[in-house]
Amino acid sequence: MTGEVPASGPATVVGPRPFRAIVGSTMRSILGRRRTLLVLLFLAVPILLALLARSLPGGAGQQEAVIGILDSLVVRVVLPLVALLIGTAVIGAEVDDGTIVFLLVNPVARWEIVAAKLLVAEVVTLLLVVPVTALTGAILVAGDPSVSSSIATGFAAGVAVGAAVYVAIFVAMSVLTSRALVLGLGYVLIWEGFLASLFAGTRNLSVREYTLSIAQQVAGVDLTAGQAIAWELAVVMSIVVFLAAVAIAIRRLASFSITGGG
Amino acid sequence: MTGWPTAGGPGRREKADLSRLSGVPVELVGVSRWYGNVVAVNEITFSLTPGVTGLLGPNGAGKSTLLSMIAGLLPPSTGVVAVDGRPAWRDPSIYRRVGLVPERENLPGYLTGRGFVEYAARLHRMPDPRGSAAEAVRAVALEDAADRSISGYSKGMRQRIKVAAALVHDPAILVLDEPFNGMDPRQRLHMMGLLRSMASEGRTILFSSHILEEVERLGERILVVVAGRLAASGDYREIRRLMTDRPHNFTVRSSDDRRLAAALLTEESVFGVEVGSSGLAARSADYGGFARSIALIARSAGVSLFEVVPTDESLESVFSYLVRR
Repeated sequence: MTGEVPASGPATVVGPRPFRAIVGSTMRSILGRRRTLLVLLFLAVPILLALLARSLPGGAGQQEAVIGILDSLVVRVVLPLVALLIGTAVIGAEVDDGTIVFLLVNPVARWEIVAAKLLVAEVVTLLLVVPVTALTGAILVAGDPSVSSSIATGFAAGVAVGAAVYVAIFVAMSVLTSRALVLGLGYVLIWEGFLASLFAGTRNLSVREYTLSIAQQVAGVDLTAGQAIAWELAVVMSIVVFLAAVAIAIRRLASFSITGGG
Repeated sequence: MTGWPTAGGPGRREKADLSRLSGVPVELVGVSRWYGNVVAVNEITFSLTPGVTGLLGPNGAGKSTLLSMIAGLLPPSTGVVAVDGRPAWRDPSIYRRVGLVPERENLPGYLTGRGFVEYAARLHRMPDPRGSAAEAVRAVALEDAADRSISGYSKGMRQRIKVAAALVHDPAILVLDEPFNGMDPRQRLHMMGLLRSMASEGRTILFSSHILEEVERLGERILVVVAGRLAASGDYREIRRLMTDRPHNFTVRSSDDRRLAAALLTEESVFGVEVGSSGLAARSADYGGFARSIALIARSAGVSLFEVVPTDESLESVFSYLVRR
């Protein structure tokens, strides 16, 4: 039909899958952003606060205070906000500035794009929040016989699961809307921070509750004054929410429409 | 030249009927697209065969919407947009055959020009991404700047690096949205030569522009889109003739508008005069003839001419004439 067009049909496709190329490009874009610096500053806060708490007189021997710092500072604030900043950066930044078009006009399966982007966001977020949680916990419990040392491990485990779920949610949000950062912030502050914990029923739909439930199970210490949801439920719900978010992101990216040139 | 079905036709609101497609590189059948209540593209039908086709129209006519649909980035509200006989929407495999140069200038600033093109090559699973990228960069004559960060690129350089990225997989179909924007005359000439030579290799090339002269110099065929409708399509000479044959309006100021108006009415090529407060408005079918003869007419009528201004030489008026035609 077109004669001797040297078009590359499927036969010439011999290069490696583009997964690695997308991962590499996404890493570079994240590391080059000012937002990433903000995340690092943010992560220093719980560590500094833990050091401060231990250096004050009477800073030892209060298990409730230790749990309080890890729950209200790390689980409520640092974890979701770091996941938000990283999770909305991997696809959301490209949606915002329009460069997503250069990724979409390629014969790349949409699931592969989402998988590569999600992998970067998950790895970066986990590498940031889990060590910070473990370190903050370790500083708070170290050499204090009156505080269970398993609390640090428990919170680190819970935060790892929570981070994985949050990141998937924020990646999906950034494909669904161009205002993912603002909406994500609203979700963290209003739903996770306030509404979800009001009733027993809504607790089942809160990533913070999954985090605490798993932390409590791993630590073997009551962290929630008996309010936590069952750890089995937390695990199942974490998987369900994660998979649902990934499925939504892939579906949405497959029919992502771009209008004109701007 | 293949057939160019005209726009409009009986309203085709039924679901995509793929059996009507003929399998040419690009085909649109009864395509409309609206955003809410705003119609951006209205019942457009055409097909593209190898060669260069220019998509001409004023800003906001729906050119970008059309190109987005052809590039599989936007679903038509009704009708079918097909590439190689298959609907373009939700089918990433079309990009093996299609290269797109979008209009937007934002590019990943953390990459070098070469890195950007190489990334495109890897996304296309080219066997030798480096080699393909180097070749594409050479094709757009950007070797000197290729290893600099894109964030420092000029408008013209951005255009060219986008073209390089779209060329890297040797596409049979190339779609370019306002590719000459921001280019200086020399770059423009080079790009036109590049597109022409790619077309001579049997590729199907569609580019949009709101500048008649660009389309005239490059497009063997022209599609004119105005207000979402296909106003004209076919050979550019034919369309050029339609554009020059239309009536032209002039505003004339003179020492005696009334006397001049009476004299003008005896002229064959003038078919309307009107005397108003701002001067004399005249309509003529012959642009060059009117400009030449008015001086003679004025002199023999004993009237001094102060000013003769063509009032509707904007592209928009040319377009709106084509639509009303």
